[in-house]
Amino acid sequence: MRSRSLVLLIYLLLTITGAAQAAVTGEIVGQGGQRFPIAVSPLKNLGANNADSGRVSTGIADAMVHDLELSGWFRVLDRSAYIENAESGITLGTFDFKDWSTIGAEGLVKGGFSIQGDEISVELRLFDVYQNKERIGKRYTGRVRDFRRIAHKFVDEIINQFTGVPGVFNTRIAYVSNSGGRFKEIFVSHLDGSEKFQVTDNHTINLSPAWSPDGRSVLYSSFKDRSQTLYLFELYSGKEIKFTPKGGGRYLGGKFSPDGQSIVATFETGGNTNLYLLDRSGNVIRQLTNDAGIEVSPAWSPDGKQIVFVSDRSGSPQIYVMDAAGGGARRLTYSGSYNTSPEWSPKGDRIVYTGRVGNRFAIFTISSDGGEPRKLTSESFDSEDPAWSPDGRFIAFSSNRAGKYHLYVMQASGDNQRRLTGSGGDDTKPNWSPRLD
Amino acid sequence: MKTRSASYICGGFLLLVLGACAPSTTAKPDGSGARSTDATATGQDARSGEGDRGATQEANTGSSSLKDMQEGKPPITPASSPLKDVMFDFDRYDLSPDARTTLRTNADWLRSNPSARVEIEGHCDERGTNEYNLALGAKRAQAAREFLSSLGISPDRLSTISYGEEIPVCREHDEQCWRQNRRARFVILQGRSTS
Repeated sequence: MRSRSLVLLIYLLLTITGAAQAAVTGEIVGQGGQRFPIAVSPLKNLGANNADSGRVSTGIADAMVHDLELSGWFRVLDRSAYIENAESGITLGTFDFKDWSTIGAEGLVKGGFSIQGDEISVELRLFDVYQNKERIGKRYTGRVRDFRRIAHKFVDEIINQFTGVPGVFNTRIAYVSNSGGRFKEIFVSHLDGSEKFQVTDNHTINLSPAWSPDGRSVLYSSFKDRSQTLYLFELYSGKEIKFTPKGGGRYLGGKFSPDGQSIVATFETGGNTNLYLLDRSGNVIRQLTNDAGIEVSPAWSPDGKQIVFVSDRSGSPQIYVMDAAGGGARRLTYSGSYNTSPEWSPKGDRIVYTGRVGNRFAIFTISSDGGEPRKLTSESFDSEDPAWSPDGRFIAFSSNRAGKYHLYVMQASGDNQRRLTGSGGDDTKPNWSPRLD
Repeated sequence: MKTRSASYICGGFLLLVLGACAPSTTAKPDGSGARSTDATATGQDARSGEGDRGATQEANTGSSSLKDMQEGKPPITPASSPLKDVMFDFDRYDLSPDARTTLRTNADWLRSNPSARVEIEGHCDERGTNEYNLALGAKRAQAAREFLSSLGISPDRLSTISYGEEIPVCREHDEQCWRQNRRARFVILQGRSTS
């Protein structure tokens, strides 16, 4: 039994300038809105030279560029077009805004860092090139190897400045990968693929990873003890709890309630699948459905009062909503003969799911009150396994548009579909963590 | 057809668990065969029948698909297996006339080998969602189990497991392949009770 756990990150954040309210707030939000042109300058080394300096300087900038482009709200100007000379500073008055307005930048990110041993201190600033003003200034300290997380944190600040809601880049994705081999294991990593951590290594089939709302544990199902059941793995301690189903049944998957106190799980016995409410240790609180058909893939509404799930009680798999206490089920989807894997938006208004279109699968959203579904992905390839970002503004999913299955992220509107992973294998079943500290 | 497959099994290299390799003329109804009630997959009694000609004590149904996968082998039911795969349509778990015919043949063998315990695996093609396919595979395995049971095979001898779309026998992405993956597979359990 290998002991594995994720190392807890510790760093400090200080606001170094009071940010003025941005005049640009709201400008870039909305479907089809123009992308805001922004420049991200490589960071200056403010300390002694260090073997890591070059890597950190461009690494932090690259991580910010990745996140800004992934958001779909920014057009990051190509670094090779930057004309500012090397003597320019990183604080207001020590550089010329004209160097940036000339190349078309309206926003500018500058920063510096110093490294001492394995500690790093980073300061980052967002400037408004039009108004010649500083909008955000932050200083972060942490370990050198965590420098990408500092970049993600700052992009979340930038997005807060522009949209009024923080970004979701200081998060992780849990997913299933066969890494090009035959086993399916659970991994977690940042959206840019950094800090990849392998949760399972049991050479069987591991599926359906789901975060706890505190971001510290991952629930998943596994065949590692031969009969499929759920396991709750604590990322920072490496501790794991096995859920033991009663009567030789099996747990196929489960999801934490928003308050983290309970889990809705799919339980199979004698060929019948039904939904059960469990506590965090896997003890049954109550049975939620009692149907002879297939009842699978439950997920919670953000207020924890309702559960969306898949049932084939109509003769084909369709999306239903019921009370979290059980009962009161109503059918949500009426178009298409195969609608599965629903997830309720953290905003509460829409439900995303996978629907079959001809011989292909596409991602749809539908109002949580029903109505006409909206198709977000093309049926010239397959897209499956949608998962909301914690702010409800993005959807992660898996798609085979580049051959093998990879993870992608798009805006909730379906715009700006971008690939996240490129391992040699199939990456599927993304589940987005809550915002992390 | 019945006799042919029975004699093939007994006369062949594979062998039969359970010393229960008797021609169907001597087979007793499920569970009542005098020779086999106390036979176990590993017991000495198993060696007393014709089956002891083989080096192995297994009827060659292959091992479980999970074990196959772990060993890097495709989860193929050997052509010589006395228990044949049952095939399904996309997103269906009802039994076609062909499926019923196959199950009747499987039931004949199970009747002739009353101490054989079998795990029925439900499999799906890759299309659709993993969790739904796990449920669909469970339905397929259960449909096969219930039909065998209706033919007089004790359900106590038949356990089920679903692998959903996770352990395909064919890995191409077309109907030719998908059809092979929508199946119930029958694997004799060795020295392990069904639970």
